[in-house]
Amino acid sequence: MNFALKLGTSALAISVVATSAYADDAFWRKAAEPYQGVTLRGVTESSPPSLYIREVLAPQFEELTGIRVDVETTSWDQMFDKAIKDMEAGTGIYDMVYIEQDIIYSYLARDFLVDTTQLLADNPALKAPTYDEANFTTFADYFEDAEGHLYGIPMEAFIKVYLYRTDLFGDAEIQAAFKAETGRDLVPATTHEEYAEIARFFTKWGEDHDLDLWGTTAQAHTGHVASWYEYYESIAPTFGVYNWGIDAANNYAASVANGGTMNSDEAKEAMTWWLSMRDIAPPESPASTWTEVGTTFGAGRAAQGLVYGENAGWIAADKEKSLVVGNVGVALPPLAEGVMEAAEAGEGYIGYYDGGAFGLPSTSKQKEAAMLFLQYIGQNEVQPDWAVAAPRVTNKNTYDDPKVQAMNEELGGYYDMLKDKGYLFAGAPAYPFHAQVREATAPTFYKILIGDLGVSEGLDEMAAKAEAELTNLGYRK
Amino acid sequence: MQSNKLGWILLAPTLVILFFFGVLPFIYVVYVSFHSWNPFAANPDMVFNWADNFRRIVFDEEFLNSVGVTVMFVFFAVLSELIVGYFLAQAFMKEFPGKAIFRTIHTLPLIMAPIIVGSVWKLMTTPSIGIIPHYLDEWFGISMNIGTSAPTAFATIVLMDVWHWTPLVTLTLIAALVSLPPDPFEQAQIDGANKRQIFWHITLPMIAPAVVATVFIRLMDALRTVDEVWMLTGGGPGSATRFVGVHIFKEVFPKTNYGYGSTISVIVLYLTIVACWLLYVTMLAPRTKKKG
Repeated sequence: MNFALKLGTSALAISVVATSAYADDAFWRKAAEPYQGVTLRGVTESSPPSLYIREVLAPQFEELTGIRVDVETTSWDQMFDKAIKDMEAGTGIYDMVYIEQDIIYSYLARDFLVDTTQLLADNPALKAPTYDEANFTTFADYFEDAEGHLYGIPMEAFIKVYLYRTDLFGDAEIQAAFKAETGRDLVPATTHEEYAEIARFFTKWGEDHDLDLWGTTAQAHTGHVASWYEYYESIAPTFGVYNWGIDAANNYAASVANGGTMNSDEAKEAMTWWLSMRDIAPPESPASTWTEVGTTFGAGRAAQGLVYGENAGWIAADKEKSLVVGNVGVALPPLAEGVMEAAEAGEGYIGYYDGGAFGLPSTSKQKEAAMLFLQYIGQNEVQPDWAVAAPRVTNKNTYDDPKVQAMNEELGGYYDMLKDKGYLFAGAPAYPFHAQVREATAPTFYKILIGDLGVSEGLDEMAAKAEAELTNLGYRK
Repeated sequence: MQSNKLGWILLAPTLVILFFFGVLPFIYVVYVSFHSWNPFAANPDMVFNWADNFRRIVFDEEFLNSVGVTVMFVFFAVLSELIVGYFLAQAFMKEFPGKAIFRTIHTLPLIMAPIIVGSVWKLMTTPSIGIIPHYLDEWFGISMNIGTSAPTAFATIVLMDVWHWTPLVTLTLIAALVSLPPDPFEQAQIDGANKRQIFWHITLPMIAPAVVATVFIRLMDALRTVDEVWMLTGGGPGSATRFVGVHIFKEVFPKTNYGYGSTISVIVLYLTIVACWLLYVTMLAPRTKKKG
């Protein structure tokens, strides 16, 4: 009886799922009828989540709807270059563009993007029954305007986490040596002092044992903006310097003299600390961007480090690329006193919540067809496999999927941290002048990195340059 | 008269293409250079600002620095390519075993795209994984890090350019040397001239037009170097390899400073024309005058 009941229930469940899947398929086919023969073009960064769209989701969508989707995956710089040129010139080459969280405000200021909420409201026939904006995590808030209208469909979201080697931290010999040297147990750091102590210990351990092992990673390229980002998005906030040290509410002040914090004592302390970590990081660090930091960690050359979540997946689980599979743990970044309390109170943050969305350019000539595809990639149904292929979560119920939970184990609890502690992290500040201020200050920043300028003098100069650029752009009066 | 008309008709397609893809964009760049225009500024429109951009450029330390490092790069790279290229050309004039294979291998870098060259050299020079720092350390105990040492990064880029472009110089000089008549050389040898005298008084003057043409080509190429440097150092460490092409790229694309970026482009074009003219005047014009 029980067996019959189970069988009956299963059959009913399968039939409900099958019927609903069939009904969903029917929607996509019918909605796509007016767009047969259409080819959609998208441009995005060549990252694991984007490659999944190109290799898996786009062909699936094409098979279902007959609408061809060509996704161009390219370098980060080229992606922005191509998208901005297309939207600025109004050529309408692209129907979908990747919007990194930090560029959305610049795009909105230029009316580059279509209001997807409004587009679906105006075209009810386009609205997929399986698509709902309420499915997205709070990361989607970064792509909304003041009225809560969505301008990009979230496609990747991750936090920059503190990764550490569980095999090294759990090694009895290393633990004993660390305790003998420092007088405390070897556990992931919660303060900068602890982090530095662990970093120095492991760098020395590597030297003493003739190992290619260093105590920390450092994304410290001396000619690439990756280093600028590491400092402003991941290091400075942990010392209580937020929003790059620029106070938007105070006439975009950057210098302490005018009310900003770009050259504050905390900022200088943060830079000094970070440079001291850079100096004991692997020798490739001054030539490392975000990609190389992941590679360094995956090659087993660092005992701990701040690593973008998009790389955490392959580092922890891909045996073909990583030498530390199964030996990776995650923790929150080390913090200065008071920073956690400020983050808990919503007055600060402890690190970078990175990610991006697919937006629909106002210049697209196939807006409706593109909106169909954007809904397709925003459905709950496609998320779990995507999250396993590339560790990113944009929809709330993805966390509960068994495949994702299994992956969470492999990632040392990364998804749990994203879900439970994600609110402590923040994306880039809502500045429409993101790249402009970054590029205006970057040359000085690089000079600090190579020692041509001292930390104090350099940050003073950066604050002055930021204010000059903001004045030049017309934001600072 | 009829042949003149036919000539213009035959030239017309080229002139039309040149006008639309060469002259017109240049006029537009000049037009933009007199404007303040950043689409991400509070006012994203193009605003005519007379010669403000040109005045600003004179005091722009980063631009002046980029011009300085570019001039140094052009000097060291082109001079090295000329010297190495000449010796290689002389070597290829002689017969030796495996000459055909060596000549083929020697010209291979020429067919590589600059961005690939930059990638290859990045792989070869990245500390820890690169073959060059590895063997420099193992054999000579020299620590090489292009991420921290400005002179090392600069020298590496010069070396990369020499590796990439010397084959072009070699090929043009081989062509020039092959075309030289044997009589003056035989005569000089009969008159007892030594090798140095033959080089200075016969070979060099006779191949001067080819040398100048090669230097023109390499000079213009070197002045607009971007791809390899972008890939290898990104303009760093600091501003050590922020050549003028990289500087313009950063000003125009990431910073979207279209007005000022156009001004820099116009000035750099002007400087290139002046440099080529100076080169022509100092190297070729005296010869032409003597002949006249």
